[in-house]
Amino acid sequence: MSDRTVLSSADHPVEKISHSIGVGGPMTIHTVDGVIRRVRPVVFTDDDTPGWVIKARGKQYTPQRKFTMSLLGYCEKDRTYAYDRLKYPMIREDFVETPDGKNRNTENRGKSGYRRASWDEALSLVAREIKRLQKTYGKETITACTSSHHSWGLVGYKISLFNRFFSMMGYTRIADNPDSWEGFHWGTPHTYGYYWRLGGPEPYDMLEMAMQNTETMLCWSTDPDTSRGGYSAQESALWRWWMKEMGIQFIYVDPFNNYTSVKHADKWIGPRMGTDAAILEAIAYVWITEGTYDKEYVAQHGHRFKEFADHILGRGPDGTPKTPKWAEELSLVPAMDIKAIARRWASTLTTGGSGMRGGFGGACRHSNGTEYARLLFLLFAMQGMGKPGRAFWSPACGGPMNYNFWFGGYSDPLASIAKYPVCDDMPVNSVQQVLYRPNVPDAILDGHYEWYGEGFCGGGIDFEFTRHVYPAPGYNKVHCFWRYGGSFFGTMLDTNKWAKMYKSPELEFVINQDIYFTPETRHADVILPACTNLERVDIGEVGSSGLGGYCSHSESGNSWQMIVYQDKAIEPLWDSRSDFWIFSQVAARLGWGERFTEGRTEEEWAKRFWQFSDLPKQMSWEDFKKKGYYVIPVAFGEENKDPETGLIENWDRYPGFNWFAENRACDTMNHKVYQEEHLLGTFSGKFEFVSESLTYWAPDDEARRPIPQYQDSWEGHKSLSADKFPYGLVSPHPRFDYHTHFQQHAVWLWEIPKNRVVINGNPYLVCHINHELAEQKGIKDGDVVRLFNDRGSVLCVARVTWRLNPQTIHAYTSSGIYNPIKYGQYKSWDKGGSINLLVPGRLIGDYVPAMAPYSCNIDVEKAEPDPNYGQGWEHILDAVDKQQLETERPIRTSISADLLFGEKEAWLKDQKNKKEAV
Amino acid sequence: MLKKPMKKPGIAINSARCMACYACFIACKDEHCGWDTPLSKAQPEMGQYWMNIVEWERGDNPRRIKTATVPTPCSHCEHPACMAAAKDGAVYKRPDGIVIIDPEKSKGQKQIVEACPVGAVYWNEKLEIPQKCTMCAELLDDPDYPGFEPRCVEACPNQALVFGDLDDPESNISKLIAANKVTQLECLGDMKSSVVHLNIPSRFLAGTVAYPKELEEVCIGAAVKATLENGEVRETVTNWAGDWEFEDLPKNVKVAIDITFDGFQPVHYDCFTDADHYVAITYLDPVK
Repeated sequence: MSDRTVLSSADHPVEKISHSIGVGGPMTIHTVDGVIRRVRPVVFTDDDTPGWVIKARGKQYTPQRKFTMSLLGYCEKDRTYAYDRLKYPMIREDFVETPDGKNRNTENRGKSGYRRASWDEALSLVAREIKRLQKTYGKETITACTSSHHSWGLVGYKISLFNRFFSMMGYTRIADNPDSWEGFHWGTPHTYGYYWRLGGPEPYDMLEMAMQNTETMLCWSTDPDTSRGGYSAQESALWRWWMKEMGIQFIYVDPFNNYTSVKHADKWIGPRMGTDAAILEAIAYVWITEGTYDKEYVAQHGHRFKEFADHILGRGPDGTPKTPKWAEELSLVPAMDIKAIARRWASTLTTGGSGMRGGFGGACRHSNGTEYARLLFLLFAMQGMGKPGRAFWSPACGGPMNYNFWFGGYSDPLASIAKYPVCDDMPVNSVQQVLYRPNVPDAILDGHYEWYGEGFCGGGIDFEFTRHVYPAPGYNKVHCFWRYGGSFFGTMLDTNKWAKMYKSPELEFVINQDIYFTPETRHADVILPACTNLERVDIGEVGSSGLGGYCSHSESGNSWQMIVYQDKAIEPLWDSRSDFWIFSQVAARLGWGERFTEGRTEEEWAKRFWQFSDLPKQMSWEDFKKKGYYVIPVAFGEENKDPETGLIENWDRYPGFNWFAENRACDTMNHKVYQEEHLLGTFSGKFEFVSESLTYWAPDDEARRPIPQYQDSWEGHKSLSADKFPYGLVSPHPRFDYHTHFQQHAVWLWEIPKNRVVINGNPYLVCHINHELAEQKGIKDGDVVRLFNDRGSVLCVARVTWRLNPQTIHAYTSSGIYNPIKYGQYKSWDKGGSINLLVPGRLIGDYVPAMAPYSCNIDVEKAEPDPNYGQGWEHILDAVDKQQLETERPIRTSISADLLFGEKEAWLKDQKNKKEAV
Repeated sequence: MLKKPMKKPGIAINSARCMACYACFIACKDEHCGWDTPLSKAQPEMGQYWMNIVEWERGDNPRRIKTATVPTPCSHCEHPACMAAAKDGAVYKRPDGIVIIDPEKSKGQKQIVEACPVGAVYWNEKLEIPQKCTMCAELLDDPDYPGFEPRCVEACPNQALVFGDLDDPESNISKLIAANKVTQLECLGDMKSSVVHLNIPSRFLAGTVAYPKELEEVCIGAAVKATLENGEVRETVTNWAGDWEFEDLPKNVKVAIDITFDGFQPVHYDCFTDADHYVAITYLDPVK
């Protein structure tokens, strides 16, 4: 040390340290003079609990003593000071507050600029409009919707704060569709139950089970390094290296040789889009003809297997044996590879699953997705699912965890300020009418929409078959949309529909409450600027869905269970305010402010979650606030530690589904009583190779047959549109974003060459195209190309690769950026990378109201970049930055200021000169 | 372990473990963008990549594709070319081996950028200075800073980046280097440096062996022999998928591949490791 320049603390300002949570993981935030200096991971000290140790194959494995954030966590500073933050309340320039709600220039939404308003003006307008709308049409006239996890914390999350406000006000609720795991949600309850986990498997203690037993990992439609177990950042990355380096063979099945696959796969196959079910049927064919499945298990736990076997062997009504050759013709995967995988699967202890938590993955977001999901479970059942080494599991969740420590999670019914015991006055929404998220635009534009199901059907299989009509009998239609957090333009279907909806005069009033000027914010009449997580107080557990909610115990995707006091690192920037403040102010103007807040501040609400958890036994509120976090030991007590290393070796273990294979009463968390009698949640209590529930409820369902099976898609390689648009689009959840929450705001991400390429100031999204297809189309690596079909056109930059087959084109979904070349024009070409302009609005089937973005045919051609500078940024600057340009920014150096106000200024000047010359 | 005095701090970069998750890349920007330190001016928000991740695709057939991912910061060379090119001592090497560009003295010295063989020095147009990775020396020097690793290392979830004392044979970094293949960046020749690259892949040859085509069956256990032009011989057998692979072959050499399996005619391929190749699906012919 002596020979280095040592800085004394006098040389630099004192740094304040606080903590928070985002979808990139828990953060340690250093601030200097009220400005964020850096965002670091939480590195544990000796005061924090020792970690767990897994002993497997003669070695010991324990996680690193830090919480490994993903790249998104390190973007938080960039995102906090982003150029596109909403800085002031704003009102659309040509919005007219007509007394009857008509003639408000709604056709200009998405095109018009905004004027700055004071909070009082904006909030009063909102309150006046709510009163007028409720008086004219009733409470049901207002609808509202949030995205998932644009912020983190039990006070501020959607089932909490949002729910409290809107339930108290009364509104038409919008039911979410299970957009990331459609096929499992609507499919697998008919095959093995688990509707209360929305079709997903039990991940409990699967990491240790796999490390000790598994010989082959089958990762179907899974990119765990990208999907990160949901909200567990990069925590499981090391687990997969352990498994890889101990010699477990990894098989990846994905149309795109994804980022985990390309590093870990011993074998990768890339089926043509939507043909996964055919490959699974062919694998079953190999096993049945070769007698290599667990006959005893199937006899004991399978229901009507004989009929399934007959179908596979070609003795069913269609008369087609589901041979590997048959599957090759559909999937273009050589029959010899299918046979090799089938035999490896049967002859070694094989564990596998789909997508980020086992019951997810793009393959289930296809018109045939329910059948793929059901077949995948049935095939694992044929190999004795639940026996050691033969589990249904994706290598991302299922780390050791302490099941006995209660703290609320994001989908926990009790962990909400809208529910007892956290609140004293529990609001109940008095409006029964609902809308369904994928079809909100259809309902608004057509004035009528009908569908089946409750969105998330965790309450029972029958929930899938309830019929809904909008408008509900006796109710008025919706005339006001309050959009809260994040943009759906990148994630919902056939996104041009959303742009069209916003222009409709049916929507008399549109409120957008968000942190950023997202593509959807641009369509509001009033914009209410919220602050980020780092500018307000909250409390939460990292990655935790909680114990009572859907997908419960998702924090097992972390190596560490960690509760964080999400302290305010800096004051809200500009005129932004916390969501809690905004809702309280509106509530006050509507006359129920006191009832809404119960007189509590945000910190006092956060303390309620501490109070009703197991944390007070370990830490006082003051100590917790001071330290900022608490790491839950996987087991308490010295006797549970390995005396040699001090690591925790004993904890309560409940390996998922093992109880079933071993004919024990169910011992895993989050189970139903009948599982203790060794029954599954199907009609027969067994694995249903022929589904009794579908036979009973939906015998005429064309999407889901009683025997799950491959079917040609309504949009696929055999459908009519394939003549015009011959390539399948594979659009998985993004690696360099979360939903739409980072891409537009954190410009550092644009410099990742696999993510975006900036040309003329516009960050074009990267798409992947096979070498042969590229040659045929005259496309070179780095060229701008147009992906298109009848629904829209998106300009991307091509990466030419061998990581997929020529019949498939890859581009990530959930673009946070939507930059139509002609802003506000329906079906304008987009250069923001909003791939969901291309995907069909059609849902999987009449009874299956599920999105199917993997059923998407497109074509590609070489294109030119848009010649205009910055392009889409015009709309942001015009609308937001009129005042900003004159306002001093409260930070020392502003993120992307160079980009937008350096080069940009020169360009604007140049344009002005040109105009003047004309 | 905190602030342990180190004679020669260094970073080992294990490419075999790198997933290109870009946590190091963004953490570097988080640390250095927007803030000046005594050792460097702020990294501009865009356009410089002090922790650059060099990535290329390996293979020429979807049947076998890998990627090489090489995080490439400044190597902190033993005899830095940038230092040689600098005037007025604008680039200096600290006694602990960390190479620093003086943000004041280096003004206008664009030749410092051009001198770097790795391309790890970037030109700041606005300030007219060359800039690069400092190994976060300003943090490691600071007794008040609570971390004890450069930001990129702290951010790595895969243990692909390891920080420690290169002069201490008992340090984790020295042990890691001893246990792995050192693959110095080719552009540095045999120059020693404080950033040590491990396991950067060279070339592979791979293929699949199958029974006669009409059988549609892969052949498991076929013997595959690679004879390099220097006479070196490597042998393997096809795995459960019928696949064979030789990894880490020297670049630009002729390799003879011989496939044999009892009852079938032997097959021979002449290959050249100018790139990573998937040689073929070999359909065996029975002995006549």
